[in-house]
Amino acid sequence: MRNECDVVIDYFNDQLNEDEKKAFEAHLENCKDCQEELEELRLLTGDLPFAAEPVDPPEGMKERVLTSVFSESTEESDDEAPVTKPAETPVVPMSKQTASKSKRNSWVMRGLAAALLLSLAGNIYALVNEQDIAEQPEDPEEVTPPEEDEGTDQVAERVQLQGESSASATAAMINRDNGGILTLQAEQLEQLDGEEVYQVWLLEGETPHRAGSFISNENGDGAVAYSMEGLPEGIDWDAVAITKEPDANSETPQGNILLSAEL
Amino acid sequence: MRNRDLELYLQMADGNKQSLEAIYDKYEKLLYSFVIKLSGDQTLAEEALQEVFIKLWTKKAVYDESKGKFSSWIVTITRYTAIDLIRKNKKSAVSIEEETDLPEQSDQTTEDLVEWKEQGETIRTAMNQLSIEQKEMVDLFYFKGLSQREIAEQCDIPLGTVKGRIRLALKHLKKNLSTGKGGVYDA
Repeated sequence: MRNECDVVIDYFNDQLNEDEKKAFEAHLENCKDCQEELEELRLLTGDLPFAAEPVDPPEGMKERVLTSVFSESTEESDDEAPVTKPAETPVVPMSKQTASKSKRNSWVMRGLAAALLLSLAGNIYALVNEQDIAEQPEDPEEVTPPEEDEGTDQVAERVQLQGESSASATAAMINRDNGGILTLQAEQLEQLDGEEVYQVWLLEGETPHRAGSFISNENGDGAVAYSMEGLPEGIDWDAVAITKEPDANSETPQGNILLSAEL
Repeated sequence: MRNRDLELYLQMADGNKQSLEAIYDKYEKLLYSFVIKLSGDQTLAEEALQEVFIKLWTKKAVYDESKGKFSSWIVTITRYTAIDLIRKNKKSAVSIEEETDLPEQSDQTTEDLVEWKEQGETIRTAMNQLSIEQKEMVDLFYFKGLSQREIAEQCDIPLGTVKGRIRLALKHLKKNLSTGKGGVYDA
């Protein structure tokens, strides 16, 4: 038989397996000696972390860590729309464009988000064409998306975002059985510097809610699909807007609104 | 400062990202340096911080006031996380002496770190006043997080004496420190 009092050190150092730990914790409740010893160890070691010589963390660590941290919560509540899972892709970079810009939507077919956008786009277009729920887009779509019959997506609203620059964007809100998706495609955006991102916001009155971020490619195109699951439900959104933010972590807009549209 | 930590923590637990970021900003350097001290490994240190803040954010590690000061708590979580990673990576073969060769030793001190800088010197001095054997005890037990058995093997001493030696070394260290001011966490 092992004497539980002998494992205080290993308990403190988290060296016990689950069973041993439970056994010790049960013992600890009634053993004053062990309680005191543990408390003493905590007290005696309390200052030791300060023995560490200050070392500067590497460049960009904060962004990497926080991006990965915030993606965790999204992952947990997000089992449907992988586009918005920022674990690996906190912002959706567009791949380099080689095709002519006149093929307005061809870039959608490329890029990291292509596969997903394809299916989303397919659903949007299918519905636009077949059910005529959304307003007709101002230009006829040149892309022929693969027909997809399954899916209960429904375009709730589709708007054109305008601003003072030549940039423009189209946003569509798609209702799904388990929460909505906001997709947005923009073009003729200014180039970003460094960590900067374009941040999409949904506005409830004056209150902005984060609704996805993206970076533009060298041709000024950008796109994002955002699962609205994380947003409060039942809100009648007033507007959608894009700002340029110093990085992908802005909780409230730091930059001016570049493009917006009422919903 | 302590209440500010609690306030930030509660806001964070409520889903406020800015509060998590504020906690991160405040503790990044201390925790990073601490894990460097534990592991001597910069990659592991970043990994450890990431895990720690994921634990905070996803509430896999939950703080409340009964657990003492927030700063002590987050340092403890960090220590466990780092030791666990070190064990997994089997990269624990860095001794305290080697750490002085680490790159990127920082000479600039932000305001939050003034206290750390002052106390750090005191603690390191106190550590250096220990006998080699006691210093090794503190190192293997606290900074390496080894089990009693591992310590007994590494120091070639009977298993039954490990606990006593650790406590003696720590008490000695505390005595060396007691000439200094109170707890370094006091704000």
